[in-house]
Amino acid sequence: MSVVLEGFGLAKRFGPTVALDGVGLAVHGGEAVAIMGPSGSGKSTLLHCLAGIMRPDAGEVRLLGRRIDTMGERERSALRRTRFGFVFQFGQLLPELPADENVALPLMLGGVSRADAVRQSREWFAPLGLAGMEGRRPGELSGGQAQRVAIARALVTRPAVVFADEPTGALDQATGHDTMRLLADATRHNGASLVVVTHDPEVARWCDRVVEVRDGRILPRPGMGGREAVTGEGGPGAVTRAGGPEAVTRAGGPEAAGRSGGSATVPRAVPGAAG
Amino acid sequence: MSGLPGLSWRLLRGGGRRGLLGAGLTAVAVAVSTALLLFAVVANLGFQGRADREAWRNPVAATGGAVAIEAVRKDYVRDRQITVVDLAALGPGAPPPPGLDRFPAPGEVWLSPALAELAGELPADQLAARFPGRRGGTVGDEGLVHPGELLAVRGQAAESPVLRADASADPRTGVAPTRIADFRGKATNDAEGYRALGLIASVLMVVPLLVFGGAAARLTVARRDQRLAALRLVGASPGQVVAMTVAEAVITAFGGALLGAVLYGLLTPLLMRIEIAGGSWFLADLWPGVLPVLAVLVAVPLLVGVSAVVGLRRVVVSPLGVAKRETPPALRFVRVVVLLAVLAAVPALVAGSGAGVIALVIGLAFLCVNLVGPWVVGMIGRITAGVARTPARLLAGRRLVDDPRAAWRTVSGVAMTGFVAGFIGFLTPGSLTTDSPRAELRLSAPAAQAASLAAEARERLSAAGVLATVKAGGDGDRKLITVSVGRPGPAGGSVPGNRAPAKAPASGVPGQASPGQTSSGAAPPGQPGGAPVDAALVDRARTALEGLVPGRVATSLADEERFTHQILDDIGTGTVIVLTVSFLVAVASAGITAASSILDRRQTYALLRLAGTPLEVLDRARRAETLIPLTVMGGGAIAVGVFCALPLAVAAMNVTGAITLLVCVVLGFAGVVGAGAATAPLLRSVTADPAPRPD
Repeated sequence: MSVVLEGFGLAKRFGPTVALDGVGLAVHGGEAVAIMGPSGSGKSTLLHCLAGIMRPDAGEVRLLGRRIDTMGERERSALRRTRFGFVFQFGQLLPELPADENVALPLMLGGVSRADAVRQSREWFAPLGLAGMEGRRPGELSGGQAQRVAIARALVTRPAVVFADEPTGALDQATGHDTMRLLADATRHNGASLVVVTHDPEVARWCDRVVEVRDGRILPRPGMGGREAVTGEGGPGAVTRAGGPEAVTRAGGPEAAGRSGGSATVPRAVPGAAG
Repeated sequence: MSGLPGLSWRLLRGGGRRGLLGAGLTAVAVAVSTALLLFAVVANLGFQGRADREAWRNPVAATGGAVAIEAVRKDYVRDRQITVVDLAALGPGAPPPPGLDRFPAPGEVWLSPALAELAGELPADQLAARFPGRRGGTVGDEGLVHPGELLAVRGQAAESPVLRADASADPRTGVAPTRIADFRGKATNDAEGYRALGLIASVLMVVPLLVFGGAAARLTVARRDQRLAALRLVGASPGQVVAMTVAEAVITAFGGALLGAVLYGLLTPLLMRIEIAGGSWFLADLWPGVLPVLAVLVAVPLLVGVSAVVGLRRVVVSPLGVAKRETPPALRFVRVVVLLAVLAAVPALVAGSGAGVIALVIGLAFLCVNLVGPWVVGMIGRITAGVARTPARLLAGRRLVDDPRAAWRTVSGVAMTGFVAGFIGFLTPGSLTTDSPRAELRLSAPAAQAASLAAEARERLSAAGVLATVKAGGDGDRKLITVSVGRPGPAGGSVPGNRAPAKAPASGVPGQASPGQTSSGAAPPGQPGGAPVDAALVDRARTALEGLVPGRVATSLADEERFTHQILDDIGTGTVIVLTVSFLVAVASAGITAASSILDRRQTYALLRLAGTPLEVLDRARRAETLIPLTVMGGGAIAVGVFCALPLAVAAMNVTGAITLLVCVVLGFAGVVGAGAATAPLLRSVTADPAPRPD
C-alpha cells in the first residue's frame, strides 16, 4: 500500500516544553496505527499535527503527497471536514441533535441535501448495531452507543484517514474493546487508514502497527520488521500480538470479530465502502 | 468559612478562569439590573417628593381656625411658567411656608433662585417689574418642585384685592384665595398624573429587569448544573446541593448588587439632568434613601437565590436527567391559555381604573408574555428544524427545541422592549401643534369694569411702548379683555421690543370691532395677533398688564394648553428613557446569554471545529438561533403591547409612535446581533483550544 499520510521531522514546543522533537511517521493506505505513550509524551500533539489541527514549528505533513502544514486555517478546516474523520473520547456529538442528524451533519456541511444526508447516515446504524436508535439524542444513548454514532459520523464522508483520540477512554473494558473492534474494522472496510492515540495496549491490539512516543520522540523498535511495537504496559506478549502479523489477522479477520462478540456485527459491507 | 458556605465559596473561587468569567458575567448582569432597579424605584420616589413639595401650593380650605389666606396663579415668561403665590397672615401665628424661613410680610417678595436669576437677566419691564416690593429672600429647595422652577411668593395684606378676588378662578390658571390652617395642602392633579405615569414607567422597566436578573441567576446555575448533578450523584442531599448553589449565586449577586448601587451613584449626576414636568431633579429626589438601598441590596440577592432554586429544580429532581442531557419535557400549552386570559381581561380592567390597577394589569400582561415566550420559542424551533435545509438552520432549530428557555432569555429583553414600544407607541400622540397665537393675551375681568380696564390696559401698554390692539368682549358677569400684541405694519418702522413711541396711529379695522370692543395702539394689519411676535414684546405686555385685574394674569391660549404640551413632551421623554433602559437590558441580556451559551457548549464547539466544521457555520447557527425567535417574538410582543395600550390610547397611531416603534425594532435587532457578534471572539478562543477536555 502506498503512503497516504506522512510527517517528517515534526517539532513542536509549548513554551519551554518540547512536545515533539523531530518525529517522522508514515501511514499507509488502509493501515491502522496506534500511537502510544505515557501522559505528556507528545502523542496527542503528534495526532494534532498529522490531522492539520495544529501547525508544527518545524517539519512537514503530507496527505497523498500534498503538503498540508503550510495551508491556511480555512483550507485545513475544509481538509479535516472532507478527507479526515475524527473520533474523540466523548462529547463530540451535539446533544440537541438526534443521532441520525449528528451523523448527517458532515455531509450537510459538504453540501449534500438534508434528506440525502439523513438517508445516507441512517444506512450506518444497522451495521454498527444501532438499529432503531436513529432518533435518539446523545443523552439517551449509552457511552458505547454514542461512540458508535461518532464512528459513523467519522466515516460517513468516506475519509482517507480516521483519527481517534482515546476513543475508548470513557468506556468500560468490554464496551471499549467492542467499540475499538468496530472502529478498526469499519475503517478498514471503508479503505481508510486509522491513527489511534491511546495508552491502552488492548486498544492498540486492534491496530496493524504501534508506535510509542516518549519525550517527543518515537522510540525505535529494532527487530520488529521495521514496525514499532508496544512496550511497557502491554508487556512482551502484547508486543507480539500487537505488532505481529498474527495480531493483524486476528484483529481484522473474522476470528477477531467472532471472538469479541458484543452487540454489533462488524460491518463487512458498510454503506460508505459499498458506495 | 466552614461547612457548606465554605465549600460554596471554594467552588466559586476554584471555578477556573472560565468559571470566574461566568460568575463575572452574572455579577455584571446583576449590577446593571440593580442600578436600573434603583432608578425605577427612585423615579417613583422622585415624583412623590415633587408632589409633596408642591402640595402647599394646592391649598386645602381650613375647616376650623384659619391662619392665612393663600392664592396661587400661573404667570408666564418666555414660554416658561411662573407660579405666583400670594400669602397674607390672618394673625401673628402663621407658620412659614415651605422654603421660606418666615411668613412673608405684606409687600415682601421671595423669589426662587431660578426666577431671581432670570429676573436679573431680562430687562425689568419684561419680568422683574411684575414683582415689585421688598425682596424678603430666596425660596429654599424644600418649597420648590425642581431646581429650575420659577416661583414667586408675595406677602400681602389680608384685605389686598389680590386675595379678595372672586373664587371662581379658572383652575388652569391658578387657585382662588383660600383660607388655610397650615401649608400641608394636597397633591395636585398634575402631580398625581405624573406619579401614575412614573409608576407605569417603573413597571415597564422593572419586569424586564426581574426577568433579566432571573436569567442571570440561572446562568450561574446552568454552568454548574453538571457539576452539581455530579455532587448529587455522589450522594449530596438535595438540600445540600440547593444550599451550595444558592450560596454561590447569592455571593455573586451580592457583589453585583453592591456594584450596581455604586454604578447608580455614579450615574446620578447624569440622571439629575433629565427634564420632566418642566425641570430637572434635586439630588435628594434621586437618592433613594438608606432603607430602600438596603432593601434592594437584600432583595436582589434574595431574588437571584430564589431564581437559582427554580433553575436547580431539575438537578435536584433528576440528577441523571441533567447529567445525561435527556430531552427536556415539552412546555405546556397552559402558558398560552394564561396569556390569552390576561389579555382578555385587559380592556375590562384597564378602562376607567386607577393607575395602580393599570400598572398591575400591564405588569401581569408583561409577565405573561414572558411565560409564553419559551413555549413559542420551542414551537418556532420545531418548525425551523423541520424545514431546515442548511446545517446552521438545523443546528439553530434543534437548539431552540432543546432549550427554549435559554433561547428566550437571549431575546426576551428585546421582545419585552417590543412590548414597551408597542404600548407606548400607541400612547404617544404626535405633538399637538396648536396654532393658537402666543401674541394674543387674554384677561378675564368683571363685566362692569371691562371697558375701563380695557382703556387702562391700552394706557399701560402705550406707556410700556407695546404696540397692541385691545378688545373687550363676551357676555355674562365676566368679559374677556383680548390684547393682540404685534408689530406695526411694514410702514410703521418700529422694532418690536424696543421702546418705540407708544402713540402709534390706530390701524385696527373699525368694521371688525363688535359692540363693546374698542381698539387702540397698532395692530398687526389684517391678522391680529397671528404674526410672529418677539417673545420679549409679549413679556413686556404681560408685565405691563400685571395687576390690572387683581388675582388675574394675562395668558395666551398657548399658555393654557401648555400643560397638555408639557405632559405629551414628558411622555415622549419617558418613552425614550424606558426604551433606553429596556435596550440596555436587552443588549446586556443578549450578550451575556450568548457568552454563557458558548461557555456551556465550549467542548462541543471545539470538537466540531476540530472536525472541520467552519466557524462561520457555528456563528450562523448562533445568529439564526437568536434572530428567528427574535423576529417572531419581537413582532408578537409589539402586537400585545399595542393591544394593551388600546384602551388607554389618547390618540390614534401616529407618525411619532410609528417612528419610535421602527427605531425600536431596528435598534433591538442591531443590538442583539451586535451583542452576539461581540461574543464571536470568545467562540474563536474556546474553539482554538486543540485539546478540549471536559471540566
